Amino acid sequence: MKTKRKIGKIFYHVIVCGLGLVMIYPLVWMVMSSFKETNTIFLTAGQLIPEKFVLSNYINGWKGFAKITFATFFKNSLFIAVVATMGTVFSSALVAYGLARCRFFGRRALFVAMLLSMMLPAQVLMIPQYLWYQKLGWVGSYRPLILPYCFAIQGFFVYMMINFIDGIPRELDEAAKIDGCSYYGIFSRIIMPLISPALITASIFSFMWRWDDFLSALLYINESAKYPVSLALKLFCDPGSSSDYGAMFAMATLSILPAVIIFICLQKYLVEGISTSGLKG
Amino acid sequence: MKDNKGAGLKHFLNKESTAGVVFSLPFIIGFLLFMVVPMGISFYYSLCDYNILSPPVFAGLKNYIKMFTDDKVFSQTIGVTFYFALVSVPLRLIFALMVAMLLLNTTKATGFYRAAYYLPSIIGGSVAVAILWKRMFATDGVVNHLLGIMGIQTSFAWLGNKNTAIWTLIILAVWQFGSSMLIFLSSLKQIPVTLYEAARVDGANKFSQFFKITLPLLTPTIFFNLVMQMINGFLAFTQCFIITQGKPLNSTLFYTVYMYQQSFEFYNTGYGAALAWVMLGIIGLITAILFATKKFWVYTEGV
Amino acid sequence: MKKRIALLMAAAMAAASLAGCGGGTSTTADTTAGSAAEDTTAASSGNAGGDTKLTMSWWGNQVRNEKTQAALDLYAEQNPGITIEGQFSEWSDYWNKLATSAAGQAIPDLVQMDYSFIDQYVKNGLLVDLKPYIEDGTLDVSNISENTIASGTVNDGVYAICAGINAPSLLYNKTLLEENGIQIKDYMTTDEFMDVCRQVYEKTGYKTNIAYYNAGAYLDYFMRGYDVVLYGDKKMGGTVNDYLPFFQMYETGIKEGWFIDPGVFAELSIGSVEQEPLVYGSGPETMSWCAFYNSNQLTAIQKAAPEGMEIGITTWPSADPKKSGYLKSSMFFSVGAHTKNPEEAVKVLNFLTNSSEANNILLGERGVPASSVISEELAPKMSDVDQEVIRYINEVVTPNCSPINPPQPDGASEVSNLLNQVQEQLCYGAYDAATAAEEFFNGANNIMNKK
Repeated sequence: MKTKRKIGKIFYHVIVCGLGLVMIYPLVWMVMSSFKETNTIFLTAGQLIPEKFVLSNYINGWKGFAKITFATFFKNSLFIAVVATMGTVFSSALVAYGLARCRFFGRRALFVAMLLSMMLPAQVLMIPQYLWYQKLGWVGSYRPLILPYCFAIQGFFVYMMINFIDGIPRELDEAAKIDGCSYYGIFSRIIMPLISPALITASIFSFMWRWDDFLSALLYINESAKYPVSLALKLFCDPGSSSDYGAMFAMATLSILPAVIIFICLQKYLVEGISTSGLKG
Repeated sequence: MKDNKGAGLKHFLNKESTAGVVFSLPFIIGFLLFMVVPMGISFYYSLCDYNILSPPVFAGLKNYIKMFTDDKVFSQTIGVTFYFALVSVPLRLIFALMVAMLLLNTTKATGFYRAAYYLPSIIGGSVAVAILWKRMFATDGVVNHLLGIMGIQTSFAWLGNKNTAIWTLIILAVWQFGSSMLIFLSSLKQIPVTLYEAARVDGANKFSQFFKITLPLLTPTIFFNLVMQMINGFLAFTQCFIITQGKPLNSTLFYTVYMYQQSFEFYNTGYGAALAWVMLGIIGLITAILFATKKFWVYTEGV
Repeated sequence: MKKRIALLMAAAMAAASLAGCGGGTSTTADTTAGSAAEDTTAASSGNAGGDTKLTMSWWGNQVRNEKTQAALDLYAEQNPGITIEGQFSEWSDYWNKLATSAAGQAIPDLVQMDYSFIDQYVKNGLLVDLKPYIEDGTLDVSNISENTIASGTVNDGVYAICAGINAPSLLYNKTLLEENGIQIKDYMTTDEFMDVCRQVYEKTGYKTNIAYYNAGAYLDYFMRGYDVVLYGDKKMGGTVNDYLPFFQMYETGIKEGWFIDPGVFAELSIGSVEQEPLVYGSGPETMSWCAFYNSNQLTAIQKAAPEGMEIGITTWPSADPKKSGYLKSSMFFSVGAHTKNPEEAVKVLNFLTNSSEANNILLGERGVPASSVISEELAPKMSDVDQEVIRYINEVVTPNCSPINPPQPDGASEVSNLLNQVQEQLCYGAYDAATAAEEFFNGANNIMNKK
């Protein structure tokens, strides 16, 4: 019996590992490419291990553009992604609770509006949004990249949290209500702690999406010193003239690090948050 | 007197209908402030001749009529997009659920595994993925190499053939299943352990536990993922934009990429807006159908 | 409880940092003024303190960004009270951003322009006519040839100044051809060119790429050999039959096997120098002995080439290459119509064009400098490859060239896309040359007469 379980365990790890390798192969390829000499990247794309490990891509890439180093770009991205994420997660949780637990006039309409706002391709809103933000005097600042997200504008997160709140027994709310707890108290004392896995999941997604978003940065940020990483990365490759793919890969490798670190740190709570939440029924 | 008023306000705020509105306030403001105006403008553009550089000129339904009468590519891209969405979304969800089940176990390596499976979604639509994906499916790429090892010698051009090119994009979409997986993972953890314990006492094996407990309790999350991924699938842009640009022979031209070309490459921006609104109609309809089926298979009773 | 505090703090921080980026959501005009330092258009109006801030935008790579910003900084240093902010992006992002800011009436003071966009921008009143500034001497064009000035002229107005002279050029694998004793001469006709393609294919197995999926400019050049101007007024020039030879060239190539299999291109990013089949591919089957480019791209192609491959440069083939040949600008500088300080912007333009200090920084990175004085001065400082480009332009193209066709009208990008599609059908064997010519001609006319 014991050996059978052991074999099963080994079998499990072999499968998970094997599949995992397939999953991360591209990433490994990118990291490896960042250590290749920049003019050999395409010619040796078929082989994984560089013939010669060089660090020049990192040095050259970090230098950035016109005296603005990647330190600046990283700082900008961090600011945008962190603030926008906090705004999104908190506001989405509020709205999700309202839509999930309170019956009020216009609830269905709001839900439909939320879904509808997800169904228009982002590209088509580029110009109208630009014109509108220009009217508001926001062009050239980070406001268009941050403020809208503080108003639960991404239906995805709201809907995700609604779904999560639906999974929490209503009896908990009822019990609290009998104890004299207001809706606001229920939200902050009961719901918020219980949906922490959803909050963490949402934070991971939101951080990643804000970090990767380059379209709004392209339109609204004029000053090069305010560029986020996502936009700066694109500057290495200009079709028609020489592109520095080595530097691009090097900085792309660095640019996924924050998301990876955040994921590794938070995924632990993803599990813990629930097992300690006392959802024993 | 003052106290009374305060209490009245407090009472008012704590009414269910008021609380609902108060909690929803961020979205109400955000929607009115950031969505309604741009959406309105874009709808107006869809009724105009507009080329970005000069002001729009009202043209009635011209753009919509052109779409259905004088645009062969339109129907082609609709076909491609439906194919892509209807194939990739179920595959992606099944894959995400399977991996989530696999990674539910907590061993020492779980954190590492989860990160590994989530990584492809982190690198998203970067240039690196574009280059790599083309390399993998090249005539002398990894895929053909692997087939060679399995005894199938081939130098098939996966990207160059109009029947297979779309599959390279589908595989890319399936490969980036991380977000659905995470949502499944966190919902799986929400299922009370007591239910499994009870089932084990009743002698149910892992299989019937999965089908009798896990799956039904997971249906709300499956539904959520399905709706979201359907919307994403129909609005898919990056895969096509960075890898195939619609080649060969428009066999991989996504609807949104075509819309983008019309808007920003050909400067038929009014037409592009009209395309977007038709897509909204299509997705809206599909979502409505999904919601209509909800009551037949989604488990809604509280746990 | 801890979580709650953390969240509250998060919310508070969010609020605080937002306040930091410039205050509330007030929609009045004073918000704009308040964020003047960040806003392009508002900034240039802030002339009260004698400080003028200009913005200049361009597309390009790391090297160009570096050099251009350095030149602009030098100008700011020499002209106290003026600062110039560079905004740079990659090609397609650049045009999206520029078009969007055009919609918002907020084009930067100085913009880099391309020949294929100039017509649309001028027609919509988005660029400043520089003629008055040339007449009053703010902008000195005395060292720029008439032909070069003409290339930035639309409807009698000068809207753009050449930032680098360029010529269409066929770049080829000189090493390969020399090893196999194949001769290349300048001014090859289409037939001579196809003979070379056959020879190369027979002797080496290397194939040919004739501007696949990117042939808009080449078709224009090709038609000039038949005295046909590609774009007429709301229609295409010539007749269906005039277009037949162009598509026949591809048909022949596919039939005889020397044209690269179109499937190969699906694995590449077309237009990216590093992935051009001339320098990149797994073997002769997927590589080309030549590439259709412009002279300023020789440096980039040579840089991307594997070690030991020398790249040669000659003219594009056509029925009569001497008739086809033209000089063009690799790119232009223009002044945006929404600028508050056209005078200052023109001065910067003049600096970039005529200052030897500025050009010693720029070093002809955008192509051979338009001013003959500057280009002579710079020539000895340039690399061997750049000198080869100068030789090609001065000795090969200039003696036989004629003025370039008028800039592409609205609709041209859609026509180019149609050309790609037709070419694709042809190369995949779905069309024959006659069908391709017909589909293209009718389709293109259809597009043009709706504009």
